[in-house]
Amino acid sequence: MKITLAAVRAFLWRGTLFALLWWALTDGRPGSWAVGSVAVAFASAASLRLLPPVPTHVSRIGLLRFLVFFVHQSLRGGVQVAWFALRPRLALSPAIHEVGLRLPAGISRVLLANTMSLLPGTLSVELQGDRLCLHVLDASAPTETEVRTAETRLAQMLGLTLDTR
Amino acid sequence: MTIADWASLVLLVAGAAFFFAGTVGLLRFPDVYTRLHALAKADNLGLGLVVFGLLLKAPSAALAIKLLLVWLLALAASATVGFLIARRARRHGIEPWRAGDAE
Repeated sequence: MKITLAAVRAFLWRGTLFALLWWALTDGRPGSWAVGSVAVAFASAASLRLLPPVPTHVSRIGLLRFLVFFVHQSLRGGVQVAWFALRPRLALSPAIHEVGLRLPAGISRVLLANTMSLLPGTLSVELQGDRLCLHVLDASAPTETEVRTAETRLAQMLGLTLDTR
Repeated sequence: MTIADWASLVLLVAGAAFFFAGTVGLLRFPDVYTRLHALAKADNLGLGLVVFGLLLKAPSAALAIKLLLVWLLALAASATVGFLIARRARRHGIEPWRAGDAE
């Protein structure tokens, strides 16, 4: 791999994260760093091999807004789905919805599919190209609007532009 | 009891309630897709509330980071595995249960 400024920055940044991880896992025991520094160096090198630095910029405000959105949606939908499970009569009306994505190809679409799976009421069942298939518990819920909001939040977090056709 | 103790207690009980609802859903829901919904929700909300309840009582920053990591890893695993099972089921032609079908 060519050594570029971006690679060095990514190496230092990821190394710091791995060092923090090691510190947390070992409760900061000083004697552990003899092994830890080697492990951190190898982990950073391996991460650069497996996921080369990409020129995306994660916005901190975007990350915060995404987290607020995720927690809010989770709680709101979670209560609804818990009620579906606990009410005496099962009154589900499941359906499959297909939604066209505006996010660029790559890891952001996978992140969106995973986000939709974790949010209560929707479950990703297929991701092919720019089509995302969702299984929903309540056919009358505004699924497409929910996907659009999640998409917008993700794009803001990763500094991506949406393809609005 | 301090306010942190009470908040922690409330979060732990709420987390347990979501785990309970998720388990009931897993047993009662009619097909593989709807059951996966129940599982993913227990991981996200149930575990999330329990982790945040325990965070309030974490004795050290290292332990707090470990707790958050447990939640994040469980979320990543839950979302990925749920998606893979659902996709496999769909490619095998398992039709989703619809309202009106026999339970």
